[in-house]
Amino acid sequence: MSTATQQGFTQDTFDAFLATRDEQDWMRELRLEAWRSFQDLPMPSRKDEEWMRTDIRLLKLDQFGPPKGEVDKAAELPIPLLAEGVQLGGSAVSYNGQNVACDLAEKWDDKGVLFGSVEDIARESPDVVQRFFAQMAFDAHVDKFAALHGAFWSGGVMLFVPRGVVVDEPFHSFAVTSDGGVDMGHLLVVLEDGAEATFLNETTGVSPITAALHCGATELIVGPGANLRFVNLQNWGDRTWHFAHQKGVVQRDGALQWTIGALGSRLAKVNQHVALIGPHADCQVNGTMFAEGRQHLSYHTLQHHLAPSTHSDFLYKTALQDRSRTVWRGMIKVDPDGQQTDGYQRNDNLLLSSDARADSIPGLEIEADDVRCTHGATTGKVDEEQIFYAQCRGFTRKEATRAIVIGFFQQIFDRIPIESVREALGLAIAQRVREYE
Amino acid sequence: MIGDGFVRVADAAEIPDPGKELVEADDRLLVLIHAGGSFYCIDDVCTHDGGTLGDGKLEGHALACARHGAQFDVRNGKPLTMPATQPAVVHEVKVDDGGVYVKINDI
Repeated sequence: MSTATQQGFTQDTFDAFLATRDEQDWMRELRLEAWRSFQDLPMPSRKDEEWMRTDIRLLKLDQFGPPKGEVDKAAELPIPLLAEGVQLGGSAVSYNGQNVACDLAEKWDDKGVLFGSVEDIARESPDVVQRFFAQMAFDAHVDKFAALHGAFWSGGVMLFVPRGVVVDEPFHSFAVTSDGGVDMGHLLVVLEDGAEATFLNETTGVSPITAALHCGATELIVGPGANLRFVNLQNWGDRTWHFAHQKGVVQRDGALQWTIGALGSRLAKVNQHVALIGPHADCQVNGTMFAEGRQHLSYHTLQHHLAPSTHSDFLYKTALQDRSRTVWRGMIKVDPDGQQTDGYQRNDNLLLSSDARADSIPGLEIEADDVRCTHGATTGKVDEEQIFYAQCRGFTRKEATRAIVIGFFQQIFDRIPIESVREALGLAIAQRVREYE
Repeated sequence: MIGDGFVRVADAAEIPDPGKELVEADDRLLVLIHAGGSFYCIDDVCTHDGGTLGDGKLEGHALACARHGAQFDVRNGKPLTMPATQPAVVHEVKVDDGGVYVKINDI
């Protein structure tokens, strides 16, 4: 299985990439604007507050390049974890940012649901894509990696659920990279007024040690009174660079439940942003992170309250072993119109080795005077008394540690209503726990 | 000709004494130091808050982190001043036929 990749992100490779795209002028213009930003913007520096704990000096972008396609569709892909035993409303698979399979159940097709690659839907229903793509939840000009994505995105998946349609079968998207591969998938989920859907997104490498580049974007647009449950399991190969801009926009009376499993990659730098733009908009984020080896996982969250009486609840739990490092930087921002905001953020870290390191930086920026916003962070080690207690009852030390780690994450699991997601996350974490003295 | 896990990272003549240079080996960033007639190698990571030691000032065998001033003994990685309290990782260095070779201490 191979995907030819031109080297580097240069004017020549951009021009060649653009020439292969069969797109309307408006999309072409977005790419050109993003490319100009990519050329103008500097690489992030460790002098920037957002990057001072995340070292990307070993990233060499010229070792990667825009994918050209030519995918062997018959090649064997890893087995997805989230779709196990689930009756799906639709599923999509991509390889190095190229869609290789897509399926939508006829009953949802009949109700006007759109599900497939962004490129395909842009050809078949261009008005829908133009209305939402990079309009509310993605800005290609905020930093170098957003611009890179804006210029070179390919593949990815779009789900559009029309007004009032309640889809009771989850959609599943599975993105895989090869060794040396590049994924620039763009995920766009739009729920119109009163619609409901569940979306399971899963990313991985062809093997656990795949070295690749992912530079992606996620846009979640939740219409008035709509309800979206979104799950993202990031399980890239442990030599993969992972950069992502992810944003949810929740309108009046809408609800977004966003579950994140961050397990893979050598270095992850993720910006997760939720904008609550209508009264009574609601968002719950459940973040599960497990880092090992020399992994570096950096998650920067922003819960932005722009309208009155909105509610947000972000809970991130992180376990670290070996010499891994995590950075969690969270911000609750309340605009002057955000009276009666109820915002909460918390990050708990469990250190399984003395060489691991977790940085938690919660923050508040409040411009309204009638709000309730709370935040907190904790960091601790596995309690030796709990280990001793479990060993007294016949557990080995490793079994006891694993049980304590799973118990640590149980608060998150209890908030996840989808059984396959709970089981996949629990199993993936339990398999990673090693024995420590 | 040198083996046993050693990787050539620089020419000895390129680095003055005293002097230092940031090098890459085994997908890691390392600071190669030339001081007192010998070469030393230390991870480019301050154990205080992960800052880069390669940007810091070298005085004798003490290398300071540019961010908060923690100093490390490049011969053994020991922290010499606050705010660092944990040693930095050091790597074995050999000079052979004009080349500087480093063996990664993969702990």
